[in-house]
Amino acid sequence: MIDLAKKIEAPATIDITAYAGATEAIRAEAAKLLTEGAVAAVIGYIPGRRNGTAIPAIVTSPEKAQELIFSPACVNNLALYLTRAKKEVKGKGRLAVVAKGCDMRALAGLMGESQLKREDVVIIGVACAGVYGSGADRDAPLAEKNIARKCRECRVHAPEGADVVAGSLPPLPEFSPVEAEELARLEAMTPAARWAFWKEHFSRCIRCMACRSLCPFCYCEQCICDRNRPQAVEATPRPAGNMAWHIVRAMHLAGRCAGCAECERACPMDIPLNLLNRKMARELKELYGHEAGLEPKEKGPLNEYREDDDQSFIK
Amino acid sequence: MQKTITEQNLRALIDLLVKKGTRVVGPRRAGSITLYEPLASGGELILGELPRRSAKEAFFPLCENILSFEKTTEGVKVADVDPSQFPETVIVGARPCDAAAPGILDAVFSWDYKDKFYLERRRKTTIIGLACTSCDDACFCTSVGLSPADPRGSDLFLTPLEGGGYACEAVTEKGEKLLAEFPQLFTDAEAAKALPQAEPAGEKLDLARIKSWLDGNFENPLWAEISERCAGCGACAFVCPACHCFDIVDEGGETKGCRRKSWDACGFGKFTNHASGHNPRDAQPKRYRNRIMHKFKYYDDKFGKTLCTGCGRCIRACPVGIDIAAVLEEISKK
Ligand code: SF4
Ligand code: SF4
Ligand code: SF4
Ligand code: SF4
Repeated sequence: MIDLAKKIEAPATIDITAYAGATEAIRAEAAKLLTEGAVAAVIGYIPGRRNGTAIPAIVTSPEKAQELIFSPACVNNLALYLTRAKKEVKGKGRLAVVAKGCDMRALAGLMGESQLKREDVVIIGVACAGVYGSGADRDAPLAEKNIARKCRECRVHAPEGADVVAGSLPPLPEFSPVEAEELARLEAMTPAARWAFWKEHFSRCIRCMACRSLCPFCYCEQCICDRNRPQAVEATPRPAGNMAWHIVRAMHLAGRCAGCAECERACPMDIPLNLLNRKMARELKELYGHEAGLEPKEKGPLNEYREDDDQSFIK
Repeated sequence: MQKTITEQNLRALIDLLVKKGTRVVGPRRAGSITLYEPLASGGELILGELPRRSAKEAFFPLCENILSFEKTTEGVKVADVDPSQFPETVIVGARPCDAAAPGILDAVFSWDYKDKFYLERRRKTTIIGLACTSCDDACFCTSVGLSPADPRGSDLFLTPLEGGGYACEAVTEKGEKLLAEFPQLFTDAEAAKALPQAEPAGEKLDLARIKSWLDGNFENPLWAEISERCAGCGACAFVCPACHCFDIVDEGGETKGCRRKSWDACGFGKFTNHASGHNPRDAQPKRYRNRIMHKFKYYDDKFGKTLCTGCGRCIRACPVGIDIAAVLEEISKK
């Protein structure tokens, strides 16, 4: 058991002075790529109006590239803008994208699914010590109490496979893995208690579909959940349809989900979607030895059929 | 005569209303967030937080059945929902940006078609508004002509007082009725001072100027610049007190089902998809443009009102940081 109390006693603040260097490097690289005409646009982050916020930006001129930043507010997974769900952006031509280590996994996944060719994108990786969690205090320095849950367990602070890497990593404190602990708590529950846990959470779902809209892997042009001739999944926010939607979401992303937790961050109803993602990822690892996003792989285990697949569960 | 009520009596008022069968809706803890939900008792009321979704769902629920149908041996039987069954409702603790919304929405729900579901609930609802003494950096009610102490839309309006308790102002007859029904809970006002009201940071926006820019700029590069990043989710519309688009779907099995009305959002890619497959708003900037046009031009053209109360919810909810206050500020400088 991890001693949570002890960890909180010694609050760890992260030194983010290196983010200024990352900002400089991103600006320089973006300006160079745009000036040379190597890319039509650079997808990065610019400051938002409110203090301590950053928003995605699709930058097309070297002048505008000087507004790009990297900070703990750069939460978005910009791989979203390289999917066919964002045709307007993709249509601009060759693109460069700023990617944290965790975002790289989504890029690898998209390449594996033939949604993106490596040569069609310039990846500006960023050495990232962590970003803010949802609803976090944006005026305080990045620390134990306001860092995103996924960052507490991040193993890809330094992105691999990028064309350039901006910034450098400070010494990183150890955080207790709150999400892994929550998952362990769930796994220890009886199936009935676990069902009740999810039923309660999904009852709050309003079907705004922000989770789907922010997911880099929800790029299907016709989501089965939007079909109405005939209807496969009830579209209205009621218990049956909500449960069905969340089962579809979990299953269709199993073995594909990159773990960026954008779905959970986007959810206005605070539904802990990444817990379910992690559970599915764990199952896939145990059953098939598969981990998504480590390298571009053409097919995940649930997307592939082999004649020698184990069929013994069909009764 | 000015009245006051203690916090304890405010909670007691909820208990009494619940006891007599009134549906009381107010800010209440729901998991990790706060929502306007039916209260089981006065103790559940949360006073210090703006709920994540608005209070509009007391009139315009997230989802409701509007009729049911069943295939029988004698043919298809259709049963209407009877709006007279809707309960008398009191909303407690509505913030000015939420209390003002129904007054704006009444226009569209009673225009060419009288929406009996909305109107019947509206008729049966009393709103107890509550002035804000704190705000955050997304609030901008003052920029769109409202204020943290604006009683508009409330039937009874509460202003927090120094040392606790609330000053009560009966704004409408419904509010007076409430005061008269529970005289034991209210006392005649003493000279307690009101707590200072919240002060949202933004400048007052020139809505007429914004509208006149919108009048002439259906096509403008600004739309792409602002909203190419938009992910096309429904978060902004679903948390908004003034958005009111809905979808109607038939759901059920082979022999019976319901016709349901549920919230929709103009950000969705399929919002304007025609049966033919043609989609006039085939790119995200066209959809976001509609969001702004509808709120600050079309609704004004048609009803002389603005479809935004500055609650800031869409700003807080947008997962890609689209900030309607920043958008308006930018347009107002054009
Ligand atoms: S973002 Fe949240 S509320 Fe919206 S559909 Fe997804 S789970 Fe439901
Ligand atoms: S399911 Fe969620 S965590 Fe997984 S890739 Fe999609 S947005 Fe990211
Ligand atoms: S548009 Fe945004 S700020 Fe305006 S009322 Fe709606 S949610 Fe609130
Ligand atoms: S503006 Fe933001 S909240 Fe609204 S649809 Fe676009 S991404 Fe979603």
